[in-house]
Amino acid sequence: MYAVEGLEIRYGKGLAFAASELHIREGECVALLGPNGSGKTTLLKALNGLLRPSAGRLLFRGSPAALSSELRQRSVYLHQMPYILAGTVSYNVCFGSKSRSVARDVAERRAAEAMALLGLSGFERRRHRALSGGEAQRVALARALASGADVLLLDEPTASADSASRDLILGGLERMVREGATIVFSTHDQAIASALAGRVLTLERGEITEDRSTSR
Amino acid sequence: MREAFRLLFGGDAETWGIVTRSLGFSLFSTIFSTLPGIAVGMALASRDFPGRRALAAVVNALTALPTVVIGLLVYSLISRSGPFGSLGFLYVPAGVVAGQSVLAFPIVASLTYAGLSKLDPRFAETLVTLGAGPYARMLATLREAKVVLVAAIVSAFGRVTGEVGVCMMLGGNIRFSTRTMTTAIALDAGKGEFERAISLGLVLLIIALAVNLALHAMTPREA
Repeated sequence: MYAVEGLEIRYGKGLAFAASELHIREGECVALLGPNGSGKTTLLKALNGLLRPSAGRLLFRGSPAALSSELRQRSVYLHQMPYILAGTVSYNVCFGSKSRSVARDVAERRAAEAMALLGLSGFERRRHRALSGGEAQRVALARALASGADVLLLDEPTASADSASRDLILGGLERMVREGATIVFSTHDQAIASALAGRVLTLERGEITEDRSTSR
Repeated sequence: MREAFRLLFGGDAETWGIVTRSLGFSLFSTIFSTLPGIAVGMALASRDFPGRRALAAVVNALTALPTVVIGLLVYSLISRSGPFGSLGFLYVPAGVVAGQSVLAFPIVASLTYAGLSKLDPRFAETLVTLGAGPYARMLATLREAKVVLVAAIVSAFGRVTGEVGVCMMLGGNIRFSTRTMTTAIALDAGKGEFERAISLGLVLLIIALAVNLALHAMTPREA
């Protein structure tokens, strides 16, 4: 699904991430481990096409990721501190479906399913300002799931979640893995990486230093 | 002072005619400047194109231009020998509205630009990653920044309501036609007839207070 060749991503002159070769298969769940500043967020954003390669190639199903309309339709990147749009939870969760021109009944069904999965039933009319950090993270994930994306690029999806929110988020992700979604997520938690991902990439100073499979 | 209050609260037709005419001019010029002002402000904030910084600097500089200079500029365009002289806008309400629209436009554009530039960078990324096209992004941005946009419009309305240079130069302060609160104040004070000037000054004061209270109420409070 993803193929990386001689990739370099720079912010100005500073090299943020480099990889000579990397492949991610459809339906794979990949965890990115590494200290702050190791390039995890840069890689996730590049996989979503939000960052363009400074050198080399990052292909999604054969097309440059930054230009791929299929990638734009199929993938969602989730910030570590998600941005919740001004409005209700319902507006947020339905936003991706609306902007991808999904039929209204399908969008509403998807939104209801995603909200139920993440313990957000009854939150429909709650305003964005009234959400806690963990609730905002769940709303953002519900928004991603309801958009119909099957390529999820998640930057520390449990970072600001309490234990209850964390369990709900991990439950939702496990289900997505079972359903065959392609998931790449960053985390500092080895246990979450091993429990969820079939493959773990360790990053240090903008490079992949280890690429291993887990027992999952 | 008593006479000023009598003119205001006794329902003096000419005084209230001036007030409603002034507000009408301001309202129409604000309406006409809103769409292009917001469009230019959004383009400056969201698109990177050659000359963007220079254009932003020009728009910002135009907000500080004295109203008589704007009056002079528009006068040269709509006077009989000007390129738009055939429209017959000089010394009629349409000319005042045109001039005030030119005055209001950079205010709306620069405040929109400034407000949108402060939006969280994650906002734009969130829209893109959720597959929003240009139209959906524009609608979402208008919704996200509605407080900023309304504040820009209210500021422009306040500015044109209180200006005198454009009204005087393009309207000519013609009684029952282009006389506004500010030009009436200038005329009456010049003649030493302060009653109507004071009554209209009170109205302008109330409008200025209302505009500032509205802007204050719209400013998001820190959590």
